Amino acid sequence: MVGNLNTVAIVLVIGLILFTISLSIFSRRFTRTTADFYLAGRKVGSFSNASAISGDYLSAASFLGVAGAVYASGLDGVWYAAGFAGGFMVVVLFIASALRRFGEYTVADFAFGRFGSNRIRLVTVVMVLLTSMFYMAPQMYGAGTTWKVLVGRGIFGMDPYTSGVVVVAGIMMFYVAVGGMKGTTLNQIFQFWWLNFAMLMVVFFAFGNGFSYPADLAAVSDGTLVNTKVVTVEQLAADDGAMLAKAQSVMSAEEFAEVQAAVDAGDSAAKVPVALPAANKLHELRDMLFNEPGHRYNKFDQFSMVLALVLGTAGLPHILNRYYTNPSGAAARRSTFWVLVFIGVFYIMAPIVGLAAIGFIRDAVANGTAPPTADYVNGMLVKSDALMPTIAQILGGEWLMGVVSAGAFAAMFSTIGGLLIASASAVGHDVYEKYINPNATEKQRVFVGKAAVVTFALIAMGIGLGIPASGLDQAYPALIAMMVTWAFAVGAGAFVPMLLTGIWWKGTTEKGAISGMIVGGGGSIFIIVLNILRQLGVLGSDGLLGFLGGLTFPTLFTFPLALATIVIVSKLDGQLPKNVDEIWMRIHGTAHERYEKQHGLDKVSTMFGKH
Amino acid sequence: MGDTTMQASAATAPNGSGAQIQHGDHIDTIENVDIVFRAQRKLSFTYGAIFFAVTLAIPASSVWWEGWYATPIWGGFTLNYLFVSLLYYVFLWTMAWTYSKQADKLDEELMHMADADAAAAENGKEG
Repeated sequence: MVGNLNTVAIVLVIGLILFTISLSIFSRRFTRTTADFYLAGRKVGSFSNASAISGDYLSAASFLGVAGAVYASGLDGVWYAAGFAGGFMVVVLFIASALRRFGEYTVADFAFGRFGSNRIRLVTVVMVLLTSMFYMAPQMYGAGTTWKVLVGRGIFGMDPYTSGVVVVAGIMMFYVAVGGMKGTTLNQIFQFWWLNFAMLMVVFFAFGNGFSYPADLAAVSDGTLVNTKVVTVEQLAADDGAMLAKAQSVMSAEEFAEVQAAVDAGDSAAKVPVALPAANKLHELRDMLFNEPGHRYNKFDQFSMVLALVLGTAGLPHILNRYYTNPSGAAARRSTFWVLVFIGVFYIMAPIVGLAAIGFIRDAVANGTAPPTADYVNGMLVKSDALMPTIAQILGGEWLMGVVSAGAFAAMFSTIGGLLIASASAVGHDVYEKYINPNATEKQRVFVGKAAVVTFALIAMGIGLGIPASGLDQAYPALIAMMVTWAFAVGAGAFVPMLLTGIWWKGTTEKGAISGMIVGGGGSIFIIVLNILRQLGVLGSDGLLGFLGGLTFPTLFTFPLALATIVIVSKLDGQLPKNVDEIWMRIHGTAHERYEKQHGLDKVSTMFGKH
Repeated sequence: MGDTTMQASAATAPNGSGAQIQHGDHIDTIENVDIVFRAQRKLSFTYGAIFFAVTLAIPASSVWWEGWYATPIWGGFTLNYLFVSLLYYVFLWTMAWTYSKQADKLDEELMHMADADAAAAENGKEG
């Protein structure tokens, strides 16, 4: 793909960027107060908010990654999508309405209001920033790699990856700082519907070109699942050529001859794309079929992966912050229902694209009509992350690829926008307004919020640029999905136990909540760092550290540990806030909402009205 | 309470039964909130138990029930593939919709209790 410029894709992406900036400028005149900047004035209706939350949630990992995961892993990839969607059930059942009723700005505000100490607010701020940065990293990495795939060339002397990171960070910096939460909300609504439209178009084109869900699923499941991989000659030759023999068992004679030629050339560092039969990690004696589980996850990971995704969603600060923009607790529940419908439809479509792509790409390679912008081996993409633009070009030519390219950038913009607002509110609202300058004017507060957005966009850019330098992209084959999972793990450990106990158990104390956040969030980060060190070859597999470093999803350990810590420390501590009954009535009572309803303050039509 | 125009007043109820919170004419007492909270907790945790039971039953069946993960029932669809790719979402939508409706009813119950308390207080004054 590198070196090729898709004109239609570029035009559509530039159109998306211009539209995004226009919406932010339009929203600017409605952003006067901090409630406007951080919460869109709390006047976002259920349908709009659900669209914005869905846009916030569906990142590049979902748009580009889920279809790619299904293409490469079959049912285990589909399970990934279902886990993402299931997370919102935890939100609607346990968190949404209570969080909104408490009526603050941020998760840190909730912690402060519920437990009554500055200490817990600051611990929460630190955890919010850490979680947001963990989630920001894959978005920025996705920005660089997507630019590389779609645009293929750098600007101002930068390489394509750097250009993507810098351009996306710059655009986000501008549009979030200018438009605040109202601008971001408007953009997220538009971006969500655009990326959903793009996915729908690919599905329509697939069915229009003869795809049959049950028949194609049967066809691709008739035989062992095959994976593609780029390996070195040294790896191929290791163990008396065990990998080479496996490649020979599934590759065509012509393609295998090229692999054999590379091996015969003797350059052990040379890299060769190969196709290999996939092993079944769950039922080791069975062949690995597309429609059966076991390609990605063994017995332990089948459970821990879904728990990480299901619990992690309720711990993402940029998603939780959006619940404060609802006009009432009931509206927060309704928003979540619509989120489940919207993202559910999206996650039903993404696996269809992943499955359909197998046949269409194989046929296109055989016919010689496959886009020359991607690499193939054995009739398959070498890198499944390139699936969406590739299948779009095969099915609908440059225009469909343009729609999909704009969809990929829309997915990145909407998620990064939410993360920047969450990070900015943690610093601007939770720290500046509360501790540094409590008497700040509205103008000063909004200015600090904007300055925080710019600062965090620059930090995000630094993280994005630092990833290739750290070697992480080489250590993890599916880095975007992996980093997203880390963010889910940190959020699930740090916030979900605190929120669940804070909302549902009156006996939770400040010390218990802080201990739980440190154990859950800190423990998750510790295990993730060990995992990175092990993957980079710094840490071995022996001993306790080696075992912990081998955990792909720490949530199965850190979540119950954090929950137990909160309960035990709270029982030992026993120091409840003096006004715990008042707090309880704020979380679970409705007097405030009834008052707002009586006076028409719950109307959502004034989101862009004058104050 | 955020950016609203009304400040809450929280105090011990005149009858000494416990704290209350007031916004304009609207009052919640801790007794009423606790009653509805317990019903809400039962509702949320019952739905939560069903949700986690079904969600964790999927990987459990994938590990131990061959008829679930290895027997095609419609083209290439196994029960496992059909549920994870389609039916799981229908399950989520149904759960979220029915839960929201039932939770809304509990909100209304709290409102009726508050109205009844207000009416009783009014009658007490007149009496």
